Amino acid sequence: MPDLTRIIELFQLPFMQRALLGGILTGLMGGMLGSFTILRQLSFFSDALGHSALLGISIGLLLGINPSVVLLPFAVCFALGVTYLLERTRLWTDALLNIIYSSSLAIAIITLSFVGQYKGGLNNLLFGDILAVRELDLIFSAVLLLVCTVFIGLTLRTQMLLTLHESLAIARGVSVSLHRTAFIVLLSLVVGISIKAIGVLLVSAFVVIPACAARLLSRTFTNYVVLSAGLGALSAVIGMVVSAAFQFAVGSQHCGNPVDNFFNGNGTAPTTCFRTWVKADVWI
Amino acid sequence: MQDIVLSVEHLTVYRETFVAVQDVSFSLAAGTDTAIVGPNGAGKSTLVQTILGILPRQTGDVFILGQPLSRRGFLAPAIRQQIAYLPQNFLFDRRIPITVEELVGLGWDKLGFQVPWANRRKRRYAIREALARVDAAHLSHQLISGLSGGETKRVLLAYCLVRPRRLLILDEAPAGLDVRGESEFYQLLYQLKREQGWAILQISHDLDMVRRNCDRVLCLNRTLLCQGTPEVALSPDNLSAAYGSEFIRYHHQH
Repeated sequence: MPDLTRIIELFQLPFMQRALLGGILTGLMGGMLGSFTILRQLSFFSDALGHSALLGISIGLLLGINPSVVLLPFAVCFALGVTYLLERTRLWTDALLNIIYSSSLAIAIITLSFVGQYKGGLNNLLFGDILAVRELDLIFSAVLLLVCTVFIGLTLRTQMLLTLHESLAIARGVSVSLHRTAFIVLLSLVVGISIKAIGVLLVSAFVVIPACAARLLSRTFTNYVVLSAGLGALSAVIGMVVSAAFQFAVGSQHCGNPVDNFFNGNGTAPTTCFRTWVKADVWI
Repeated sequence: MQDIVLSVEHLTVYRETFVAVQDVSFSLAAGTDTAIVGPNGAGKSTLVQTILGILPRQTGDVFILGQPLSRRGFLAPAIRQQIAYLPQNFLFDRRIPITVEELVGLGWDKLGFQVPWANRRKRRYAIREALARVDAAHLSHQLISGLSGGETKRVLLAYCLVRPRRLLILDEAPAGLDVRGESEFYQLLYQLKREQGWAILQISHDLDMVRRNCDRVLCLNRTLLCQGTPEVALSPDNLSAAYGSEFIRYHHQH
């Protein structure tokens, strides 16, 4: 049994509190945008965006620029570029996304081989570094969460109609391209900002899994969006707590690499929650 | 002078490399019912989708309630509110968790920037009234994915009438319904048309229904072959021009 007192003590440390808050902000944003992402069948898009972000990071490292500075502009440009291609291609969406993200990953690995920090930093790039979340990151996440909430809140009905039936929305005067672009930009910013904490491999899990769980539990669209955001935040909290508990349970000999343990925990927590909720839904 | 709801002038639309609709002009008066008839691939859906701004047009003008539809499909929001559109086969992803009440509510909303709880009481009242009007009040909390074909059409009519409209555009609206469902749909549609004073522009393959109910018919096969009252526009000569002479022989034998 994990020692509860020690978990509480751990969460009194400032870096743990920043990590927890960062996780909650990321979870809320990922869940909120994720609810529309999965319905618009953009799950693979967010996955491809996350994986391809490694290319942005590697370009930053190669040019000697802070990867965090390169990451967000890269994610937005990449997302808009991919959207442009998807609108014009005759290929299947998932096939094109596969080509793009495989190519990006391959180029990123080649680029990283030219960079000195490659070997030491790969784990952090792949699995993130939530304990290294700074106050500035939290401020940026909070601002982005506010922007997402205002945008989704004020255009909720438009987003609903657009998701349900594009032609009906256009007939009502909705500018599909404007809304699509705004959504893609927000999604790419959320994915980009979450990569530092969650890593390129698992970032789409925060977008897709809470929304899928919420879909199984919801009977109305509005509840679905709210629940998805809530489950995103809850998954982050559970992930952190489970990781902290696991850290102490395995003993102090593993302290040498606490970051890895955190990310292993964080990655599995949403999946665990999801499974539990799936079961709950089946039982109900 | 007649109150013109819709005016289309010299409209030409290209779909990729071919001309789908060429030099079509007509107008629609308030409270009247106009049917567009023609064979498959005649450009009927293209025509109505262009009028709504869903598809771009190459030349020509469209005026709805006196306001021009821009080349990029922009029309003043106040005018958009006066139009309702029912697409051919209302196909949607059945996994989307949206209830009947939420769908009908989308017909009421102005779809600009607004807080989700704006005019909550008015909105709820309008939804309840619209659903009751199409005899679907009991479906309000159901997911739309669970509705039958007939129920879906009734709910879509509630989506149209939840707010007062001037123009209803239907693209083969009863498609997918059986004979009885189709008859019930039209009965309800015309009852509502009388009450609401809608002008209707509809695509139809049911020439008997068109003869019975419509004031005006447009025969389309890429170009507008004829227009007028059903007696004139659906004469054997005009039908032969639109569908080919084989169609007339077939139609008379049945």
